[in-house]
Order: sequence, then C-alpha cells, then structure tokens
Amino acid sequence: MKHVKQKTSMLLLLLMTIVLVVSACSGNNSKNNAEPAKENAATNKPAAPEDATAASDLKPYKISLVYPGTPQTDEKKVEEALNKLLTEKINATIDLMPIDWGAWDDKINLMIASREEVDIIFTAQWNGHAKNVGKGAFIELGDLIDKYGQGIKESLDPAFLDGAKINGKNYGVPTNKELAAAGGIVYRKDITDELGIDMSNVKTPQDLDAVYSIVKEKKPEMTPLYTTAGTFNSHFFANYDFLGDSTIPGAILKDQDATKVAAVEQIDRYKEYLNLTRDFFKKGYINEDAATTQVSSGDAWKAGTVFSTVEPMKPGKDAEIASAAGLTGKLAQIIMTEKTVATSETAGSMLGISSTSKDPDRAMMLINLLHTDKEINNLLNFGIEGDHYTRNGEIMTATGNTANYNPGSAWMFGNQFLNYVWDTEDPDKWAKFKEFNQNAKVSPALGFVFDSEPVKAEVGAIANVIKQYQKALETGSVDVDKVLPEYEEKLKAAGVDKVVAEKQKQFDAFLASK
Amino acid sequence: MAKHTTEAVSTAYIPKITTKKRSQLDIFRKYWMFYVMMLPAIVLLVFNNYIPMFGIIIAFKNINYADGILGSAWSGLKNFEYLFKTSDAWIITRNTLLYNSGFIILNLIFPLAFAIMLNEIRSRFVAKLHQTIMFLPYFLSMVVISYLVFGFLSDEHGYLNTSLLPALGLEKVQWYFTQEVWPYILPLVNTWKNMGYFTVIYMAAIIGIDDEYYEAATIDGASKWKQMTRITIPLITPIITIMTLLQIGKIFNADFGLFFQVPRESGVLFPVTNVIDTYVYRTFLTVGDIGLSSAAGLLQSVVGFTLVFLSNWVVRRINKDNALF
Amino acid sequence: MEAVEKISSGSNLKNQLSKPASLGINIFFIIYSLLCIVPLVLIVMVSISDEGAVIRDGYQFIPSKFDFAAYQFLFKDATQIFRSYSISIFVTIIGTTLSLIIMALYAYPISRTDFPHAKFFTFFVFFTMLFSGGLVPWYLVYAQVLDLKDTLLALIMPLLVAAFFVLIIRTFFQTTIPAAVLESAKIDGAGELTIFVKIVLPLSLPVLATVALFQTLTYWNDWFLSLVFITKDANITVQYLMYKTMLNIQFLANNSTAAAAINAAGGTFKFPSETVRMAMVVVGIGPIIFAYPFFQKYFVKGLTVGAVKG
Repeated sequence: MKHVKQKTSMLLLLLMTIVLVVSACSGNNSKNNAEPAKENAATNKPAAPEDATAASDLKPYKISLVYPGTPQTDEKKVEEALNKLLTEKINATIDLMPIDWGAWDDKINLMIASREEVDIIFTAQWNGHAKNVGKGAFIELGDLIDKYGQGIKESLDPAFLDGAKINGKNYGVPTNKELAAAGGIVYRKDITDELGIDMSNVKTPQDLDAVYSIVKEKKPEMTPLYTTAGTFNSHFFANYDFLGDSTIPGAILKDQDATKVAAVEQIDRYKEYLNLTRDFFKKGYINEDAATTQVSSGDAWKAGTVFSTVEPMKPGKDAEIASAAGLTGKLAQIIMTEKTVATSETAGSMLGISSTSKDPDRAMMLINLLHTDKEINNLLNFGIEGDHYTRNGEIMTATGNTANYNPGSAWMFGNQFLNYVWDTEDPDKWAKFKEFNQNAKVSPALGFVFDSEPVKAEVGAIANVIKQYQKALETGSVDVDKVLPEYEEKLKAAGVDKVVAEKQKQFDAFLASK
Repeated sequence: MAKHTTEAVSTAYIPKITTKKRSQLDIFRKYWMFYVMMLPAIVLLVFNNYIPMFGIIIAFKNINYADGILGSAWSGLKNFEYLFKTSDAWIITRNTLLYNSGFIILNLIFPLAFAIMLNEIRSRFVAKLHQTIMFLPYFLSMVVISYLVFGFLSDEHGYLNTSLLPALGLEKVQWYFTQEVWPYILPLVNTWKNMGYFTVIYMAAIIGIDDEYYEAATIDGASKWKQMTRITIPLITPIITIMTLLQIGKIFNADFGLFFQVPRESGVLFPVTNVIDTYVYRTFLTVGDIGLSSAAGLLQSVVGFTLVFLSNWVVRRINKDNALF
Repeated sequence: MEAVEKISSGSNLKNQLSKPASLGINIFFIIYSLLCIVPLVLIVMVSISDEGAVIRDGYQFIPSKFDFAAYQFLFKDATQIFRSYSISIFVTIIGTTLSLIIMALYAYPISRTDFPHAKFFTFFVFFTMLFSGGLVPWYLVYAQVLDLKDTLLALIMPLLVAAFFVLIIRTFFQTTIPAAVLESAKIDGAGELTIFVKIVLPLSLPVLATVALFQTLTYWNDWFLSLVFITKDANITVQYLMYKTMLNIQFLANNSTAAAAINAAGGTFKFPSETVRMAMVVVGIGPIIFAYPFFQKYFVKGLTVGAVKG
C-alpha cells in the first residue's frame, strides 16, 4: 500500500502540472478569441450603410449561418447564387452550416463552449435559448435591430419581438410566421364520408367518442386515434403555458387570465383529459403500444391504418400531413381549442447572433434581408428557380432536381410570408395564416421565460419522475386512479412545490415589471 | 504545446529523482529504451486523457461559457445534490451495482465456458465458424438491438404476442409494462451481445497454454474436467483476474445504450431499468447543464476507483503477480 | 529446435473428448450460433420488405411483399457512400496498425517485473480508464490546442490508446513469455528493442491478433468522432453516414418538447422508414462482416504461428 500511495502522489503532482500548463494555454486562447470580436464590433459600427449604395464601402465578409437540418447535395450551388445577390447588397458572402438534428445539441453546445467563430445561429425557446443567453452565447440585438433591422420592424408583428424577450431584451429575431396556436385533430375525411359520419358537430374531444366507436366497429383494422405521447394533455391542446420549457412543472392556462402557477396535475382540465384518454384507451381507440412505439405519427399515416391524430393546429395542417403521407385530398382538420399567443410561439423559432461573431452588423443585415428580400429568402429556402423548382406566379412546382435542395427549413429563416407556395399546398396559405393570426387570446405570460437555475437540483430530479409516469398516463396506458396519486406523491418528494413556487415568484416579478 | 507537456511530465518526476538520486539515474540508464518505447503512448494519453481531466473541476462549477471553464463561479457541492434528491437515488445505485455485478459474473462464466468448449471441437473449421458467428451481435448498435427486441416484445406485432404465446395457449403479455421480466431480459441481451467479444479473449489465453501440460496430464490419465480445473483455469487466472478488475473499475458506470434504448423509455419499468447513466441523461435533457453530468461522472469514477483499489489489495494478498499495480 | 504446431488440446488424439460429449458440444454451438444469426437475417429481411407492410404487421422473417426500394433510396447518392467507405477503410487500417504498435510498445515495459517504474506506468494508463474530464474539455483539446477539427487525424488519434487493451496485452506478455527466454537473450547481448521485436512479438501473436480485431471493430464502428469533429459531410465515415438518421429519430423520440415545437412550427421530417433504417444497418456493417472471415483466416494463422515453440 505504501507503494501505491507514493504512486498516487506522483500522479497527482503530474496532474497538477498539466492543469497549470493547460490553464495557461486555454486562458490565452479564450482571450485571443474574445478580443478581436469586441474590437471589430467597435470599429465596424460607425460604417453603417444607411443607403443601398453603401454596400461597396463595406469590407467583404463571409457570414456563417448555423442551423439544424440535413445537409443538401446542392448546397454549394445555392451558396454561389446567394453570394451573387449578397455581394451586391451588403458585400457579403454566406457559409451555410446545417447540422443534423441528431447532432445538433452536442455540436451547438461544443461550438458555444469552444467559442467557435460563427455569426448567425438558429435558436428557440424550446432549444435552450434562455440557457444559452445566460451562458453568454448570444449578443443583445436591440441596437442592431434599430440600426439595420428596419425591415424586420416593419414586417414583423410587434408581439413577436415583445414575446421573445429575456429580461426585457432581445437576443434573437423571431421568424415571421403563424403567431397564434391552437390544438385539434386531423382525420381521414374519406373514411367519414364513406361511413356517413357527420363531423360538423364534433367540437370537443368528448364528441370524438361516438365517431371513434363507429370507426372501430366498421373499420377494425384502423387505429381510431394514433398517438405516441401527450394526446389531449399536450400543452398545445390543453393550452398549458409552462412559462418556458414544458418539461419543467408549473403552468398557467393560456386561454384564461389567471396568473396562478400550478403543477398541471392540480389543474382540473388535466385530470379530465387523463380520464378521457384512459377511457379511449380501454375502448381500444388508441394504439396499444402508444407509450413505447417509435413509429412517428407521420410514418403511421403513411401506412394507411390511422384514422386520426392530435395535432398543433394552423391553417393547412391537414394538407401538410396529407402531402407528406401520400394521402392528398383525404384528410381534414378540426380545431378544438381557443387560439392563443404565447412565448412558445413568439420565441419558437429565432435567429440569434453569436457573441463570437466578428461582424454582428453584417449578420443583422443578412437577417434583415431574410425578412424583407423575397428573392434571397426563397433562394435559401427552395433553391434555384428553374433548377430546384419551376414557378408560375407564387406557385412552385417540383422538378427532378428538387430533392437535391429542399431543406424544409423555411420556418427558421426570416419571413415565411415571403415564401412561394408549392402546388400541392393551398394557394391562399399565407392569406389564411394572416387571418389565423388575428384575434387570438394573448397569454398573460407572453414574453416571460422561467430561469431554472435557482432550482436546478429539483428540476434535475423531477425530470426522471416525469419520464417515469407522464407518457404512460397521458397516452391512457395505465390506470389513472392508481397511478396519478403515486405520480403526484413522487413529484412532491422530488420538490415540485419548490419549483412551482420559484416559477410563481419569477412570474410575479415579471408581471409587476410590465 | 507538446513540448510543454513533456516537460511537465519530467518535472513531475523531480521529487522522486532527488530522493533516490543515484538509483533512479541508474534505472534511467539501464531502461532508457523503455521510456522511448512508451513515449508515443504517454504523449497520446496526456493529450487525450490527462489534459482534459482538468474538466473535473466542472463538477464544482457553475459553468458560464463566456467566462470560460476556469473563470466560472464555484458552486461547491451543489451539482451533486440532484443525485440524492429523491428515492430514485437508492434505486439507481442498486440497479447499477446489481446489474453490473451480474454482468461481471456472466461475462466471466459463459465466455470462459464457451472458450473451453470451442477449444474441444475437433474440426477447426467448425470452431472458427461458430466463433465468427458468435461475434456477429457485437456488430450491432444498441439502437438496432432495441428495434430487434421490440420486434419480439411489442404489444401489437411482437413475435411473442402474435405467434409464440397464442401457440402455447397463453395470454398476451404487455412486456414493456411488466417489471418482473426485465431483470432477466437485460442480462440476456447484454450477454448475447458481448459473448463473442469475451470469448475471443479467453480463447487467445487458452491457445497460449503450453501443450506439454496437457500431454503430461493425458499420460497421467487425468480426465477432461481435471484438466480444466487443474491446468486451463489456473494458467489463465491472471487474465481472468485482470478482466474482472477492469470491469470492477466500471461497476458504477452502466451501459447507457442497453438501459436507455432497449427498454424504450417505458416509465413503468424505471424501478428495474433506471441506472445512474440514464438518470443523469434525462436530467441533462431538461437542465442542459454539464456541471450536473460532470458531478455524476466524478462520483462514478471515485467509487470505481475505490473498489478497484480494494479488490486489487485483496488480489495482492492472494497472489502478488496477479495484481494490477 | 522442433516446431510443434499446436492447434488445440483436442488435436492430441489421446486427449479427445468422448463422442457423445463432443456431439453435445457441437449441437449446443449450432443452437447458439442460430440465436446469433437469426436477428441479422431478420434485419436483412426487413430491409427488403415493403414499407407499408412493416408498419402494418411488424417485422416478418418472410416479408409478405419484397421491395428493394430502401437500397435504391440509399444508393441514389452512391458517390457519398463510396467516399465514406474509403474514409472508413483508411481510418480503420491506419488506426488499427498504429494503435497496435503504440499499445504493444507501451505494454511491454510495464509487463516487465524487473522494471522499477512498471507499476507507476501501469497506474498511469489505468487511471485514464476511470477518470475523464468530460466531453467539453476533451473537445477543447482537440479543436483548440491541437487544432485537429475536420482532419482525418481527429478520427484516428482519440482511439489510438485504449487502457483496457494495453492492460490485456501487458497481462499476456507477463503470462506467456517465459522469463528465462528473456534472460538468455539478454545474456546474448540483445538490446531491449531487439528482444521486443524478435522474441516478444512473435510469441504474442494470439493477443495481438485479438486486439487488432477489436481495434478494427472500434474504428469501423465509430460514429461519434465524425459527429463531433467533422463539419463537412464529405469527410464522414460510413458508420456515421448511416447512423445519423438513427440519431435524428432518437432526438425527436427523446425530446418531446422539441418534436412538438418543430411540428407546430411547420418543420416537416422526411424520415426514412424502418426498411431504410435496416438497410442502413446492412450497408454500415455489411463490408466488415464479409471481411471478417478473411481477417480470421489470418488471425488463426497468426494464432498457430504464435504457438510455435523452440
């Protein structure tokens, strides 16, 4: 043992030496990286191109755009086409850096941790935006938007920028898209027509019982309601506003004005929907393996055995699913909840500027162009006209080469209302979207995001409790009366009350400051 | 950078050299070639393992990337708290230890038996063929294995429920909601996957045994069983010991893929499938704080380290040559 | 110097198992081998099934409808697949060779009980098996200190020294090489390097072949290094090319919040069906499984040569 002790102390000494050497190194590194960024930000600011001719005054700059998505075969081609336009307008070129979803969390974390020099990064409230802002990953955009983002301010509903704030400041520019959210179901219209079911009276989930029972009886090979999680208790359907990450307990109801935060298990609506779902499950309406299957509803639709699914709603959701599943013309949708506007929508898709960007001004100019310039926006989203699609007015038709550039990321970039529409979609899509955005109930918590840092340990423990019970309960796979009390008890033991209280505290402070 | 670190390595040596200056110098003179031989691996270990080890401090920090790892604020033991917050702490510790102890035993007994039996097969071709085939499951990732297991156990389409159980006149079973069966399924899957791997190691050890031992034994009329217990096993004890010691070091680290992918995140099964690694991962998904995962990792390492130390001490008491260090 | 080729203890006629015992062992292994093959057959079968049938009926050993669409889909972009194959092959060959050399060079000194620092250096390598600083610091070293991002070296270097294998090799050196042989060589005046190359290595072929096999698999199966270090798809290994899709699916399955948000935002996922996923498995591991018997042939040669004694 004496032997070993000596060895350990030697090893410790060695380790410490290494740590010293490295800390010296890494210290230098971070300094080296951080300083040029600051310098640049300072020196570049005065060179503001208020008018279009000023483009030539700007030094050439390559803007990198990091976003989640599958790399496309013709990425180079599209980059070149974009470069031509961008050089003319802001004397910049673009470097598209798509990262697969499966690698996104890892890579973006490492990118931020290693202070890699990139310019624009996709970010969203559900993808750790608040956390990354807290870690200093993004710069504050207020001034930049005022200076170079006039187009954004003009085209974007002010609710978006307000609703995407953290502590009163914007760290990301939201995509201009549907603002309101609602929940409902998408179902097989051809089947209801065939069976003579009248869907016009179906307004609530309870009304579905009668429909499903007919479908179950007449079409035994079909699954009346296919689900993999959530069902009617999904936050978009039940209108829970989790004030940030929906995996952290404590919610208010978006469609009401009360500001009391409660764990959803305490809300009557939650129990009601649980019992309903359980009832449906017992009657055999829901797929048996709902809690464990990894066949997404999209794949299930394709197989043709699904009658309906619960979906977050917007105009044309039915057509969107139908075209992906090869069921064009056979689906219809029913909206079953009140339309609401909450932070989950306003901050659901944003472009932020990295704190390592060497030229944040130019990055903002690009974001502005994505919000205002139809040609650039569509080029980035759909590729080159005549190559990746052909166009007639606002309507696009796919070509043989469409598959080589079709990132499907239009919802991440700038202004969706500038997008052309595929010939498989409703030609009035955008008009309907605008209409849908009107008259939605605004959640009392719009613009508030919960900071989980003070209750990190509780949230960490609760995460496991939720995973243990939530899915089985919400898909109706287990007995509500037996399991729900057990679930609540374990949540309590893990400190749910403390988390909810903290949420309430922060939320009250937010309300007071408004 | 490379230079710096090698210097760092040699400076770390100084205390020892000065205490026993004479003899140490002699050692260096006598074995200088050994240091040259070890150099490439030392350099790699330093860069790949030892330098990143400064990250252990993340476990005690509240990380803010803008401030850097060293610049972030200290948080004491706060990052460890979540591990002990609920009754899950007991469950994940118990599961991790029990499963891994089971795996260590299974990974010893079966592959060893297989290796000994394979060695008795007369046709070399057949033995080789079996060995090759046994290795196949090792090629599959846990995600794919989870698909396969699901293919057998799924409620609606699984073989057991659609073919086997009805054929036997039994009721369908909701496998992913039945806790009792998983303490058997998981070791089964694990053993099935790793059998080929461990068998190859023991095969290599057995092949290394000098034939003369067996010849002498045959002359003495020793039975096969005697040969196995008196010759084969004693002669490969060093390799058995080292394999066991190395696995004990990892006894607090569960095979994430096995426990996360194969039970398909079925919450009902958590009491028998939740282990430290899956618990930490789920927390990370929600909290996204590397401090928390670092803390768990450090705890796992310290426990593993302690256990290896103890077992190594026991081994040393029994037979000095078989000890790890 | 009489070379006795040792194959197995069973080769000694007098020392063979009785017929029934031998038959029993054979039957046992046939059954076990079937258990190992059947799931792979299932994977291949699913990969050539009709997509709709798989979702409706689950996995079938004999597909109700054959369909090679999955492979057509995958090989639409054949150039990328072949490029990734060549990267995988390159990384595997170079990586395995280098790592075998480096690990053996390290394992030998620590196997020598007369080397006073053997215990320390054993501990030095063993320690790395237990303690790690985590992903971020490790990444920082490779990306910033060594600046290896987007290089093939980043796919090779991290896996070169595996503590587990070093210690296995060390133990084999200790047990299979008689100290007397080393002593006599030293008396003959051979240097340490000569002893290592001329005596130790030839005597240790079984373990070296085993570790080479494992390292080949490690390199071939690795996808994580590609994920972390390679930014341009052109340079990823075939495992990652195939595994990416699985990761995407996993991401959505495990992040219900993200999945719902993306769905609500209008993101559409064109995920390959289960048939394509299985085809990806086949494409990813196919070559190495076919190459494996060839490998083994050489391994067995190595094993028998290794047992030649003088």
